[in-house]
Amino acid sequence: MNLFRSEEHIERWLAGRDQGTTIPVRKLSELAHAWWDDRLSPTWRPHTRSHNQAILDRLGLAGRFWHLPES
Amino acid sequence: MNEDDLALRNLTFARFVELGRAPTADEVAAAGGYRGADVAAGWERLHAAHALVLDAVTGGIRMANPFSGVQTSHRVHAAGRWWFANCAWDAFGICAALHDDGQIETSCPDCGESLRVAVRDQRPDDESLLFHCLVPAARWWDDIVFT
Repeated sequence: MNLFRSEEHIERWLAGRDQGTTIPVRKLSELAHAWWDDRLSPTWRPHTRSHNQAILDRLGLAGRFWHLPES
Repeated sequence: MNEDDLALRNLTFARFVELGRAPTADEVAAAGGYRGADVAAGWERLHAAHALVLDAVTGGIRMANPFSGVQTSHRVHAAGRWWFANCAWDAFGICAALHDDGQIETSCPDCGESLRVAVRDQRPDDESLLFHCLVPAARWWDDIVFT
């Protein structure tokens, strides 16, 4: 899970490996803030799978790549 | 996760932020009135629950996500000090968890160029950068250190 300057750099770094997925850094920041915002709260509880999947869905991170495991 | 393990988890994360690094089991034990062995056993349960990640060799904290217990190539300045993140996602996550703006420093894995991003009001100041995730969500925890 890394930042890159451009698609060209990603392609070169992958060197033929499976592509994974790429999103703009602004979307990453939105995801990180939704995902980690409560991490230090004294009332923190573990996120359920459905909670986390809802975060991904709300941000438009859909499809098989972003599908969390059922258990 | 039962209430005792939840309390241990929250104390561990609180000590991490107070110290600016991963606490030892003895440090958490001293802060919470535990025995060191009970902290280590509790951390094992939290590791199994994916609430933190232990180093396989030392048994110390490798990840208290989004914070890293070891040095990485992802550094974040927020809340008045430097932190190590586990990955680029977690670098933004540190700003989120601390509820603060921040400065992220990392490098392009391809060319090694330094990449610096300021986060202000949850937004990066350089929106030209791209985030790449190699491992699908269903397999993130197969090997979380690699992910």
